[in-house]
Amino acid sequence: MTRIFNTETKLPYIILFLVTVFSIYPFFYMISTSFMTVGEATNQYLFPKKLIFENYFDVWISNNFQRYTLNSLIIASIVVSGILFTSIPAAYSFARIDFPFKNIIFYFLLISLMIPEIIMLLPHLLIIRGEIIPLPFGPSWMNSLKGLTIPFMGNIFVIFLLRQYFKKIPKELWDAARMDGATHFYFLYKVVIPLSLPIIVTVSLFSFILAWNAFAWPLMILTKDDWFPVTVSIYGFIREVGPNFNLLMAACVISILPILVLYFFTQRLFLESISNFGLKE
Amino acid sequence: MNFFRKYSNQITGYIFITPAVLLISLFGIFPVFFGFYMSFHKWKVFKGRFLGFENYQRILGDISSFWIFVSGLLLLIFSYWIWSEYKDKIKNKIPLSIFSLLILFLGLFLINSSWAKMVSLGDDDFLYSIIYTFYYSFLTITSEVGFGLIIAFALYQKLKGKQFFQNILLLPYITPAVMGAAVFFIIFGKAENSLLNELIGLFGFDPQLWLFDKRPITEVLFGIKINGFLAGPSLALTSAIIYGIWSYTGYYAIILLAGLSIIPTDLYEAAKAEGASRWQTFIKITIPLLMPIIFFLLLTGFINTFQAFNHIYVMQTSSAGDTMDVVTVEIFDHFWDRVKFGYAAAEGVVLFILLNVLAISQFIFFRKRLNYD
Repeated sequence: MTRIFNTETKLPYIILFLVTVFSIYPFFYMISTSFMTVGEATNQYLFPKKLIFENYFDVWISNNFQRYTLNSLIIASIVVSGILFTSIPAAYSFARIDFPFKNIIFYFLLISLMIPEIIMLLPHLLIIRGEIIPLPFGPSWMNSLKGLTIPFMGNIFVIFLLRQYFKKIPKELWDAARMDGATHFYFLYKVVIPLSLPIIVTVSLFSFILAWNAFAWPLMILTKDDWFPVTVSIYGFIREVGPNFNLLMAACVISILPILVLYFFTQRLFLESISNFGLKE
Repeated sequence: MNFFRKYSNQITGYIFITPAVLLISLFGIFPVFFGFYMSFHKWKVFKGRFLGFENYQRILGDISSFWIFVSGLLLLIFSYWIWSEYKDKIKNKIPLSIFSLLILFLGLFLINSSWAKMVSLGDDDFLYSIIYTFYYSFLTITSEVGFGLIIAFALYQKLKGKQFFQNILLLPYITPAVMGAAVFFIIFGKAENSLLNELIGLFGFDPQLWLFDKRPITEVLFGIKINGFLAGPSLALTSAIIYGIWSYTGYYAIILLAGLSIIPTDLYEAAKAEGASRWQTFIKITIPLLMPIIFFLLLTGFINTFQAFNHIYVMQTSSAGDTMDVVTVEIFDHFWDRVKFGYAAAEGVVLFILLNVLAISQFIFFRKRLNYD
């Protein structure tokens, strides 16, 4: 112990200890309260006297969070698959194929990074209602999975990150593949994607979390709770539960859990990618 | 057939980018132009008559004042640019510094006078929301980067369990904002016996109403009543700021730690050999070398926090009045609750212009790439 806590490192440890407490306390509060009775929750006790699991059953079944969690999982998975489906070929094309106006198109798409999300919401709403252009698959996408997912399936930042990675793959590989008569599609599918799995997993993770976080957009286009994601449900729940904080916190634990599980298995990847992209962005 | 064979590369290239280009153009770029178009119309759910600049007139009071305001902001950037561009090329720095200071003051004067005119004629709710957003962004980002720096420096020492601390630090960052805000909504609630109120009670403070309190922070802390800009954010908005700090400080700490590890270690060894204390090395070596990164994070972070929406919207309470209505919340309220589409679109355009001024400054400050040689 004396070796750990010498005078050199005492202060850093104290700082990190305080930060840890500050970072974790809300999680501790959330989990602890979720097991309390209403009385304990209102009096803001630190620990419950007895663990009450019924809160979770209540929220999961009576308040229909089984449905909302499933909705969020479906929405986020579709958004991630959509992003990968559009971004991987596009990034490959921008990185490795020569065609006219390539750079102009790429820079044109980069403009979308500079536009605040709040400005997009309103025109998006009109597009989704089918008022600006006629939409495929039905006159309006309000209250539907299409409306929740399709607008977020193109993401230039993901294309940008993938492009950087694809550029590093040696040209000799493509030359060799072309000798054997491979097409771009075959080469992308058999060589580039397997070689780029780390970056593909990383962008999938970040897209998944982004999709899980989506709030303003589903709040606007959903008028029925059929497709409510957890974020919108929690927002409604805050006003609805009144003093039943224990139920609200149980709902929060349920809604955060998938993200925490995901984070638990991918911590290292997260840390590396934030250290790497953070400075370049 | 020959045609296809000859151009097969190009055709594949275009086919590969088509889905992404279509989606991004429709949902990423077209909305801006359409927002402009909407802002010139009376538009409540359905398109009404053409208004020209009337929406802008009502928001800003006086459109020319707004452009004076923007040029004031640009002058601030310009004064920095002149200083940074010529300070190493000119021997006698006094005239240069006087000149850039003069431009700085001219910019501040223009901002101040045009702002006063806009407030007296325009939509107060919107203009105040810009001030609230400024409070929010400025206080959040400076604290995040400041604390992040201290934490990064602590993590930079040779410690055990470094990985563990880093993983804990990122937990708030990955927490979805709506759920995090729900927890903070209770922690910063008005209950007198809440842990937070008991904690500040230990330091001799009275229990506070936190998110339900619209008094400015200076009044809460010092009991003095100030009007205007210097009064600071309300206690409610301050609670939202604390949420912002909670969620992003770890993220900045990780990035700054990556920045710290780029600094060559022989610099530290040299300083140690000279007998410099750890505090001195931190102030004299670490901070100056990190300055470009710190500045970059402050600026990009400022632009990002200017658009914060989710947690502030969730944490709103009616007793806090409009003191938590940052720009994004104000715009959202206008088109969502009050169904004034054209007006909200015009507000969005104003926000877009202000953010682009910030982006221009980012471009000017970071033309030269960060390097350490």
